[in-house]
Amino acid sequence: MSRWLAEALAVAAKDLRAEFRTRVALNSLALFALTTLAAVSYTIGPYRLAAEDRPFLLSVLLWIVIFFAALAGLDRSFVKEEESHTAPLLRLAAAPTVVWAGKLLYNLVLIFVLMAMLAPLFCVLMGFEIAMPWRFVMVLAVGGYGLAVITTIVAAIIAQAMTRGALFSVLSLPLLLPLLIIVIEGTRAVAMGDLASFSESLRAMITMAGAMTIVSAFLFPIVWRD
Amino acid sequence: MNRVGLALKWFLFVWMVVVIWAAFMWIPSAEGFKGESSRIVFFHVPTAWVATLAFLVSCIASGMYLWRREPKYDFGAAVSAGLGLLYAVLATVTGAIFAKIMWGAYWNWDPRQTSITILLLIYAAYFALRSAVADPEKRATLSAVYSILAFVTVPFLMFIVPRIYFSLHPDVMTNADPDNSLDSAHLIVLLASLAGFTGLSVWLYSVGTRIEKIRHRRRQEVL
Amino acid sequence: MRVISFRWMSGGISISFSDVAKRYDLRVVFRAVSGEARPGDALVITGPNGSGKSTLLAILCGLLRPTKGVVQYRTDGGDDIPRDEWGRHLGVVAPSMAVYEELTALENLRFYARVRGLALTDADHRALLDRVGLDPDRSTPVRGYSTGMAQRLKIAQALLHSPSILFFDEASSNLDPSGQDWLEGHVRSLVDEGRTVVLATNDRREMTWGSRNVSLVG
Repeated sequence: MSRWLAEALAVAAKDLRAEFRTRVALNSLALFALTTLAAVSYTIGPYRLAAEDRPFLLSVLLWIVIFFAALAGLDRSFVKEEESHTAPLLRLAAAPTVVWAGKLLYNLVLIFVLMAMLAPLFCVLMGFEIAMPWRFVMVLAVGGYGLAVITTIVAAIIAQAMTRGALFSVLSLPLLLPLLIIVIEGTRAVAMGDLASFSESLRAMITMAGAMTIVSAFLFPIVWRD
Repeated sequence: MNRVGLALKWFLFVWMVVVIWAAFMWIPSAEGFKGESSRIVFFHVPTAWVATLAFLVSCIASGMYLWRREPKYDFGAAVSAGLGLLYAVLATVTGAIFAKIMWGAYWNWDPRQTSITILLLIYAAYFALRSAVADPEKRATLSAVYSILAFVTVPFLMFIVPRIYFSLHPDVMTNADPDNSLDSAHLIVLLASLAGFTGLSVWLYSVGTRIEKIRHRRRQEVL
Repeated sequence: MRVISFRWMSGGISISFSDVAKRYDLRVVFRAVSGEARPGDALVITGPNGSGKSTLLAILCGLLRPTKGVVQYRTDGGDDIPRDEWGRHLGVVAPSMAVYEELTALENLRFYARVRGLALTDADHRALLDRVGLDPDRSTPVRGYSTGMAQRLKIAQALLHSPSILFFDEASSNLDPSGQDWLEGHVRSLVDEGRTVVLATNDRREMTWGSRNVSLVG
């Protein structure tokens, strides 16, 4: 078991090291997130929304920015392997679930770095007041994990296809919509201090993330190897 | 041509003609529905039902393909998805017309409209994926995997999301379930329409899969 | 000669393939190819450009499924090795299979060793790089390598886990004459060690290294 983990960590570390040197995915994520945030902040700002609408609308805006930023950068982990022709040697060297776990870990790091940068900035610029800040972090963490799990398996699928870019978004969105709805509600709940709704949303998020994790782990080897 | 098949097709044709006539001529307008709008229910409900059924069939066929790797399961999955897409579009359009007449707006994102939209998106994504993969076996495998992933989200869409959704949109009106307020005559026609549309889709499915089998055989002959 | 602590399987692995064909939709790459390679053999696959040598090699590595036909790996004891495990026992050098450009040679070897679960140290990696003549450049990103250097790194990567089977697809290309001499020496010593070698090539010199031959007609 620990050998499997060490191998998965090797994959994640390799991706992160390579990414750190070229910063392509990070740039895509950050650029998208920041420009969208700037646009939203400029047009809406902290004053335009009526007080009773704020928790809901700001939750929506936050997650839409996160999701679309993710769609801008999270396919790279697999697409790059195919485009650089490094995938065949990886297929021969590593067990499929090791590759899946490693890439998932890599995507998780990207997402969490994005969120760490974006969420505080969003709250400050948009005047988003959160009644339960630690639970907000939980929503971000679990929601971010769900996002990473789904985008990882979809990225693996589209890396084998021809048109790639738009296809990643087209395939991810239907799968992400239920998660989106749940995390938005969870965020609204923590913003308003609605503990009951937060608990329910958190449970739904965890269930969805869990189901997708198990199914992805099963299906990934089929996608990865011919 | 197979005689039983031919007879069944004619039977289906007559059945559907009768259903259509009944829906428009025999049944009087239902109470509680504006104008003649209740008649659309006889077409809206079955198409929505078939769209969902087709999705289920497609997912099962996908699972079978991944298990057995026989091309016939891939044909089934693709043809079923194609039918599902067609019926989903019909269901969406008839639902929107109904909503406009009854409540004045074509679209108000109630759970059913939302579900059918997401189903449409899943179908669109499925076909976008299929068209992006040239190799038939790869195409079959990847679309089967996507089918199953999509299927996993369905329980969430059906059970969890509507509950959460209502706390987000307390102002959304639920479509009154037409089934509940229908008398027996309406029910008979509705069930007959359901059977007819199901029969229609079974026929279309068999035609579609037969075409795919022939195409596949032609390809095999090259080797 | 330095002693390197690789794990080495006692006994070799035989590859046999019969009636293998590959088709992509309507395009047939090749039909009905058969052959075998035993420990101590060097199987040479020849054929004009576009005849499918690289495709056949990929099938023999387990990276592609053949449309028809069977490929088998057997140990000395006659046990069949399932396709999932082939990767452990083979090393490949091919133009279509690259190493990581953003990493250095040493980082590449470290990665492949870790991901294969091998307990190799940097000293081991440096020894291997020294064998292929890359030790001085071990800390430069591969992106800056000449094609000959990159080819040597690919060879190092293939030898890293001391596999029983080695595939070389046009391996002499990009190597200068001294590199080609070195490669020939290496292939011959691999064969002498009792490993199974498969070469896909059009190079006349490489063809002389073979003890068996499979020809793909275009």
